[in-house]
Amino acid sequence: MDRRASSFLGIKAFIRQEAVLIDMSEMVVVKNLQKSFDGLTAVNDVSFSIKTSEIFGLLGPNGAGKTTTIRILSTVLAADDGDVQIGGYSVLEESDTVREVIGVCPQELALYPELSAIDNLMFFGRMAGLSGKSARDVANKHLEAVGLQDRAKDKVDHFSGGMKRRVNIAIALMSNPRLLFLDEPTVGIDPQSRNYIFETVEKLRNQGMTILYTTHYMEEADHLCDRLGILDHGQMIRIGSPEELKSEIGDPNEVTLEQVFLELTGRNLRD
Amino acid sequence: MFRPIYIAIFELKRYLTSKGELAFSIALPIALFALMYGAFGGDTDFNATVDIVDLDGGVHARELISRLDALDELSVRERDLDDAESALERSAVLFVVVIPDGFTSGLESGGSPRLTYKQRGNGGETGQIVAAIVGSVASELGSGIRVSQSVSEALAGANIESERLDRAVHVSMSNAQVNPPVGVTVTGAWNDRPDVLDRLMPGILVMFLMFAVTLGSQSFVDERRGGTLERLMTTRLGINQLFIGKYLAGVFRASCQAAVLLVLAFVVLRFGGLSEILQLAVFSVLVASAVTAVGMVIGSAARTRDQAIWAAVFFTMFMTVFGGTFFDVGSDGPLFLLSKVTINHYAIDAMSQMLADGSHLTEQLVGVGVMWGVTVTGLVIARIIFRVS
Repeated sequence: MDRRASSFLGIKAFIRQEAVLIDMSEMVVVKNLQKSFDGLTAVNDVSFSIKTSEIFGLLGPNGAGKTTTIRILSTVLAADDGDVQIGGYSVLEESDTVREVIGVCPQELALYPELSAIDNLMFFGRMAGLSGKSARDVANKHLEAVGLQDRAKDKVDHFSGGMKRRVNIAIALMSNPRLLFLDEPTVGIDPQSRNYIFETVEKLRNQGMTILYTTHYMEEADHLCDRLGILDHGQMIRIGSPEELKSEIGDPNEVTLEQVFLELTGRNLRD
Repeated sequence: MFRPIYIAIFELKRYLTSKGELAFSIALPIALFALMYGAFGGDTDFNATVDIVDLDGGVHARELISRLDALDELSVRERDLDDAESALERSAVLFVVVIPDGFTSGLESGGSPRLTYKQRGNGGETGQIVAAIVGSVASELGSGIRVSQSVSEALAGANIESERLDRAVHVSMSNAQVNPPVGVTVTGAWNDRPDVLDRLMPGILVMFLMFAVTLGSQSFVDERRGGTLERLMTTRLGINQLFIGKYLAGVFRASCQAAVLLVLAFVVLRFGGLSEILQLAVFSVLVASAVTAVGMVIGSAARTRDQAIWAAVFFTMFMTVFGGTFFDVGSDGPLFLLSKVTINHYAIDAMSQMLADGSHLTEQLVGVGVMWGVTVTGLVIARIIFRVS
């Protein structure tokens, strides 16, 4: 191979490497996202991005558009307008490939309560393309990760709220996702279970997973998230780290995230 | 490619672990079959033990006991009088036959010796049947002895051995037993069919398959509301795979239901031969396919659990009642015309022909065609309106 050819291939490899680095640095890129239901705008011109291995918190009052945004990003709902790239793939045009990248833990407990925890995990594992044996191995690994290995064969119906939430998260991990959606994963559970979930989420981030996290608990978002996006009336009204957002209204060491949230979204009740 | 089948197997597992659904689809048919068994009787054989006290011990008393013991429906247990009375006292037995002392000599002298029936209350249903059988056999024995005596007297001096006469009378009476001079024909009470079950069985089978519509559509709505359908759409599962998987799950489940019913029909009611049952099983899968497709239309269209249940119940009741499950819709008139728009009409018709007339499944072109038609039409409509959230 002559030097020119060698140099050309080197440049090409460098460009490919850079491209990968660019793709890897931005796991999610959302541009001008738009969605309406029966004339009611749920998501209005929303744009944001999430870096690889980042925990991005999506906050907002009820009806702000958080769940609609997650449903569009997780390929369940089609956007009216805008563009979403996940792991370099277009959600609109390459939804099948996007599904290989993501794991979704929905707000509701989307489980089969009459079956055991391991049966639930294995089923979703099979749907994610795992073989029978792999599905069992991966299910056991994730049940251990969420502290339920001893209850693997028990019916989910007999579990406490916190245990069900942990099964809900473990299912989302069955596809070994690079991007995990956690939609209010700590609703209605005791502090111990919540703390266990925090630890699990931090472990996952440390393993390189990117996480999109929604919650109504501000101290939770403050503690876990690297950056936050605050949605209101379908629009992204602020993006920044918890410290950046807190410094907007005062000393970050004294101001709470809840104060920032109420300052930005108002004190009127949302139903 | 295998994901729809895996979904179907998974659904079957859910079905088999759900106590409520199992009770509905297995315990209910068993209860119904028990009722049918009681009402129509799957087994008409009578078997009982007759307790006898032989105070005579003579040749004719032994002959009576021997004849009773030779009957298929009776077995004889001899007791002494004290033992029999004690057993009656304890209600250990309800009915005892006592052959009195002098029974043999009484018969030989041309008298009318009487058997004694000792019983507790009315002797029970079995005791009454046993009494009738014993009375009939004793009467036959007495008649034979009297005929022999009369013939012997009439032929006295004709130089015919008495043993030869006795043998001739005995053979003649035995022949009369095997080939009664007057026969009886029993006919069924339901039209021209020999057995009411021939008509009811296919209707009940289809009715239970129809119940699968209710369960299927309801569980479909439950899953959509619970978020599992939407969650599945975030995996690598395509929407068509999910749809096919749910359809196969419905067919599997309804087929399980049909299998339970057919096994019960075969074992409990001794219904049809193995060949008929297997053909019915194949046809049941076609019916299961049709009702599952209808269930998917209801499940896809319904927005709430209540809507799904009411739509499915209305559909099931309409099909069951007007499809001629419990009464004959005749061959003309408005009821007959109404029955023509039901799946049950064609399913029951085909199954009845296979059971009662020995018709083969391959001859049931109309029934098979209707089931396929409903399946294809139902699936097309269901797929168009199918949604996961």
